[in-house]
Amino acid sequence: MLNKVPEVTAIFWAIKILSTTVGETGADYLAVHVGLGASLTAICLTGLLVAALLTQLRRRAYVPWIYWLTVVLVSIVGTQLTDLLTDKLDISLYISTAAFACALAATFALWFSVERTLSIHSIVTTRRELFYWTAILFTFALGTAAGDLSAEALGLGFQLGVVAFSALIAAVAVSYHFGANPVLTFWLAYILTRPLGASLGDLLSQSREYGGIGLGTIQTSIGFLSIIVGLVAWVTFEGDGARRAGPAQ
Amino acid sequence: MKLIPAIAVCLVTTFTGEPNTQASRHFTFVPLAEAAAAKLGDLTPFRSIAVDVAGLIDKGDLAAAKARIKDLETKWDEAEAGLKPRAAADWHMVDKAIDRALEALRAGTPDAAKCKQAITDLLTIMDSVAKA
Repeated sequence: MLNKVPEVTAIFWAIKILSTTVGETGADYLAVHVGLGASLTAICLTGLLVAALLTQLRRRAYVPWIYWLTVVLVSIVGTQLTDLLTDKLDISLYISTAAFACALAATFALWFSVERTLSIHSIVTTRRELFYWTAILFTFALGTAAGDLSAEALGLGFQLGVVAFSALIAAVAVSYHFGANPVLTFWLAYILTRPLGASLGDLLSQSREYGGIGLGTIQTSIGFLSIIVGLVAWVTFEGDGARRAGPAQ
Repeated sequence: MKLIPAIAVCLVTTFTGEPNTQASRHFTFVPLAEAAAAKLGDLTPFRSIAVDVAGLIDKGDLAAAKARIKDLETKWDEAEAGLKPRAAADWHMVDKAIDRALEALRAGTPDAAKCKQAITDLLTIMDSVAKA
């Protein structure tokens, strides 16, 4: 089996941030505007995620559109997982943040104990791939819970959210540059891009009355989705496919 | 490597951005204190839909009330990111009340008395939050 994940480039992070926003607004759109309700939306999207994941697992090599479709669906389901705990089961965000952090830590512990590596560059067996996607699901759930918690506990609106989470990601990038553990910094950035993407989406979609740009959720989602499709098309035909053949580390 | 320019940008934004984080941290406490006085702000657009719904329930037209309360659900949902940070506790109180009203009107066979009670509670909560 060839490596099944993309090279971590600027395009990788751009698609990741945009897919986060689409994950949030997309789920909302189906639940409220289309009127499926939260439960039916969750069931349908979990079904879609399983289908996408099976397609991804069955491929022998990295196929950009399948990989990123899976990320978008993991993003939606991870967000819904947090929303379900908070809104339906009334579980405090402090508890869900702690629980998802523990779940993620447990995933990494198990991953390392079985594989003796947490490398995000050589996902070459189905077992490693399952660890990889489990970790990604929990980073979205944790990013949602931690982002919502900081918004509520600090009264952090989306404008300050964009600034604060960008600064945190920049700090992670700098520590990576100065030799901090690449795997640790990758996952920290992965968690932080969730609240950044949400704040960015809110900034564009919220009405001017609330300090947003006023594009509305539908335009924002369509815009972001178009950019994602464009970038995925770019990496498919132009981008990191050729350089990705060997494991990078 | 594409990463090099990205890191360079990050470096610049961090060094210029670090004081900003400090500033924003102090900054957040100011709106927090203000939020205690202003709370969620003007809920009139949401309240007027709830009044419509109450009127339709009074007329006995539960189907129309159910259709009208969807406007409230959509509008409230769209404003979440803007409203919630102003006063999260108040927002949750109103949100729960809206959920109860939605649930009453969307029941298999909606009970007019229960719908009336849920929408009355919602209006009471909206008013108490607006006054605080």
